[in-house]
Amino acid sequence: MKTLRIWFTRMRVMTSKELMQLLRDTVLIIFTIYAFTLDIYWAGSGVSLSLNNAALMVFDGDSSHASRELTSRFREPYFQNVGSLSHSRDTNDVLDEGQAMVTLDIPEGFEKSLLRGEQSTVQMQVDTTNTVLGLLASSYGQQIVGRYGLEVAMKQQGLSPDGSISGPILDDRHRVWFNPNQEDSWFMSIAELLTIITVFSMMLPAAAMVREKERGTIEQLLVSPLSGFQVMFSKVLAMTLVIVLLTSISLFLVIGGLFGVPFKGNPWLFLALATLYVFTTSGLGLVIATFSRNMAQAGMLIILLIAPMIFLSGAWTPPEAMPTVMRWLMLVSPLHYFIDAGYGVLLKGATLSVLAPQLAGMCILGGLNFALGLWRFRRQFA
Amino acid sequence: MASDDDKSEATESGSLAVSARGFSKHYGKQTAVNRVDLDIRKGEIYGLIGPDGSGKSSFMKAVAGVLSFEEGTLQVFDTVVDSEASAELIKQRIGFMPQGLGLNMYPDLSVEENIDFFARLRLVPDQSLTERKSRLLAMTRLEAFRDRPMKNLSGGMKQKLGLVCTLIHEPELIILDEPTTGVDPVSRRDFWSILARLLREQGITALVSTAYMDEATRFQRAALMYQGKVLAEGEPDVIGNLAQGTMITIDVEDQTKALALLSEQFEQIEAVGSRLRVWVDEPDEAAAEIQLRNALGGFVVHHVECDTPGLEDVFVAKLRQEGHVVAELPAFEAGTSSASGVAIEAHELSKCFDDFTAVDKISFTVPQGEIFGLLGANGAGKTTAIKMLTGIQLPTSGEGQVAGANMSTAAQLIKQRIGYMSQAFSLYLDLSVSENIKLFAGVYGLDPSMRRERSPWIIELAGLQGYEKDLAGSLPMGLRQRLALGCALVHKPQILFLDEPTSGVDPLGRRRFWEILFNLARVQNVTILVTTHYMSEAEHCDHLALMYAGKVVADDTPDNMKSAVTAEAGGLLEVSVDNPINAVGVLEESDYKGAALFGRKIHLWAPDDESSRNRIQSLLAEAGIAVLGIRSRSLSMEDVFVYRVLQQEKAREQSAA
Repeated sequence: MKTLRIWFTRMRVMTSKELMQLLRDTVLIIFTIYAFTLDIYWAGSGVSLSLNNAALMVFDGDSSHASRELTSRFREPYFQNVGSLSHSRDTNDVLDEGQAMVTLDIPEGFEKSLLRGEQSTVQMQVDTTNTVLGLLASSYGQQIVGRYGLEVAMKQQGLSPDGSISGPILDDRHRVWFNPNQEDSWFMSIAELLTIITVFSMMLPAAAMVREKERGTIEQLLVSPLSGFQVMFSKVLAMTLVIVLLTSISLFLVIGGLFGVPFKGNPWLFLALATLYVFTTSGLGLVIATFSRNMAQAGMLIILLIAPMIFLSGAWTPPEAMPTVMRWLMLVSPLHYFIDAGYGVLLKGATLSVLAPQLAGMCILGGLNFALGLWRFRRQFA
Repeated sequence: MASDDDKSEATESGSLAVSARGFSKHYGKQTAVNRVDLDIRKGEIYGLIGPDGSGKSSFMKAVAGVLSFEEGTLQVFDTVVDSEASAELIKQRIGFMPQGLGLNMYPDLSVEENIDFFARLRLVPDQSLTERKSRLLAMTRLEAFRDRPMKNLSGGMKQKLGLVCTLIHEPELIILDEPTTGVDPVSRRDFWSILARLLREQGITALVSTAYMDEATRFQRAALMYQGKVLAEGEPDVIGNLAQGTMITIDVEDQTKALALLSEQFEQIEAVGSRLRVWVDEPDEAAAEIQLRNALGGFVVHHVECDTPGLEDVFVAKLRQEGHVVAELPAFEAGTSSASGVAIEAHELSKCFDDFTAVDKISFTVPQGEIFGLLGANGAGKTTAIKMLTGIQLPTSGEGQVAGANMSTAAQLIKQRIGYMSQAFSLYLDLSVSENIKLFAGVYGLDPSMRRERSPWIIELAGLQGYEKDLAGSLPMGLRQRLALGCALVHKPQILFLDEPTSGVDPLGRRRFWEILFNLARVQNVTILVTTHYMSEAEHCDHLALMYAGKVVADDTPDNMKSAVTAEAGGLLEVSVDNPINAVGVLEESDYKGAALFGRKIHLWAPDDESSRNRIQSLLAEAGIAVLGIRSRSLSMEDVFVYRVLQQEKAREQSAA
């Protein structure tokens, strides 16, 4: 009974020590608060994966009713007509110079050939330096041109005098689930939150540990009756507490409040999962701390690990699109499980029973990380 | 008067290397150096002596032209340093070695690469570089280590390499900021003799600072600094006259009670091993002794020894006379530690790292309540030995009992019974004083009532009343160390391990620290195992073990160690001559290898008899040097240490050959 009481006293004083130290590190605490609030706000409101106001320049060699009609169909919010060109050869130049992202070249005689019922061509050139946006621009352009062509054809056949289509055509009625307006801010803000949680749950415990090594206070703890587990776990506990607190602020104020993401599932379930995830990842932070002599080294190791963790998480690429080897590697990225679970709860309303595999994955990885950290810690100081 | 001064300055100005008038330096509101006047003559070793934070470094940096200052004038050679441009003019004539072991060099570069780097920085032509490099490496005996990376050198060797790098462009003035701090006594002596030889052979000027008061005798002239002011300036003897008095060492029955009685009359008193050292404000030795005997009344006095006080004693006396009051220590409960018998027993302990043996079969026994000192150079294995005894590291072989528990099997039990304080300040700088105490009370599992009882005692012990809410990082070094000591004592340990606890602490702080240790051992019966670099502190221990290359090479009381060395090597003779710098060279080249320069005097090992006196006389007479006097000196612990370590080194070289 007494041993148990002393054990809890030790954990309590060590955990509150870590909290006090963190709160007094002004630079770190400001950086942390920034990351969980402003950074997520900017990621959600600034980064967009949809085509908005792509700069379009047109060479209209025909100057006819038909050419003007086609041009006018490239309209906002997707495209923005930023000017017209007087020569067909200029189209390449404006792309090179970055004045336009898309150019449309309508040759002379465009309308005539349409009226004659002949095949007619327009040329669209797209700058696909940014592959996502380029792909979107070219497919939207295809749709616009294709649809116009179809309308003209049907009108000529007399099938539809007003231009609306009423022929043997498939009517595509798709439904968008989970994010009906396809708002990027929903996806982006949650993705950024998950990344930030990952970064800080590695960085904060690693920083706390490396600081003890740098200043030599670790020796004082080693000669005390504290066990290695108590030294390490008190850091994890303190940092988990801070990160989960900030996560809930970010979740309710920024993601729910500012971006209006409706939580389909129980946000408390999300926080519980986040707690488990922070624990999983902070073990990794402690392993890093045992390998590094100072904060700079720890920081570099964390960056080194974060990049592949995010690539392998499935945040940017669905697992099915990855090579087989990568798909296997994904199994060891804790972020992979957390992303599935996080989106699942927040946007899809998933419950605990659905998330059992993810939960198991995180538990196993977390246990392994922490055991590895403890083993390294003992080995380093014995 | 004024005109006299002017005249003397005018005649001297050509012979001065550095001249400062009303020099002041402020950092924000803090005054680092306060209206200092100093003259350093060409061709002398000039010392700045003083504890940390006394303004030595700021002054040296200004002389080196790397720090601006607000008030006063500073002239280096013929240049008045008042702007960056003027500072640039003198930099080629100056060599500056900043504080810190090897901090200005590159750890991953080899000895030779470091030297080459500094030479190229100073545009030394290749041919002179080759010649100077081989000469300096030979002088510093670093020749064999040319290709060794700097980080693998010992502390003393790093400092010698630093000196070579500072000298490679042949400066006229070298500025060395605490070159001997953190360096063991043997390497320190080596460093001083190399410096003396450089002066003799090259005629350069050296401005050197030190925190070791006993090194004052190494300088031709020196300034004693404290809190930014010069307390005294001149030849070491002159500085020694700062406060008048006699130092008396007595061997008296019932040391603890005698100490309590004498403390009422004599403020400056300390326990040294089984003896008491008392400062009496009376320069006449006979009169001082009578004063002391009267004060002692009925106590049986076994032995009395009067001595002229050392600089550290004088310094403390001066501060005391100026009214620096030291707070009273709290009461020590008698016999807190009930344990008796053997506190620490090490039996053939060894620790190997890969192919390197850090500790090689050491054995020693420490009875409960004793102050046990572990001495040794950097890398002798002291810290590793402590780490094994405290359970941080497992021994490769051998075994030990600490506080009644087996080291290898019951490490957890030991940890509960011992207190530990390490070399570096090992508390949390970003926690306040009371938060630190609370933390360690919790770590050692004290219940709240016990904690409330211990906290005020620790605060009082460390003299931290009024600082409870201050962050530990904002405290001066001396207070921090005592706080660390207090935290190590929070759970009333049976044994206290202290790894170089007083490095960087000023003499006043060190005295209080030892006063606490004495009370812990004598009144509370706590066993104390301490390692130290300050040989003057080794005298405070009841028992000493000297380590060399991982082995214990001597294990005895300080007195026995001294008499053993006297029996083997004869005594220590102090030779006064009219040309000490040349004389030491003459003596070194004859059979007196260990001859060393202390200010204007020479110390050497020789039996105190007619034949050795005659031999010294005739050797020096041949060289045309007049001997002013030869007298024997009582050995200090440092003499013993240096003698034993050199003996080991010689034996090692012979076995290698």
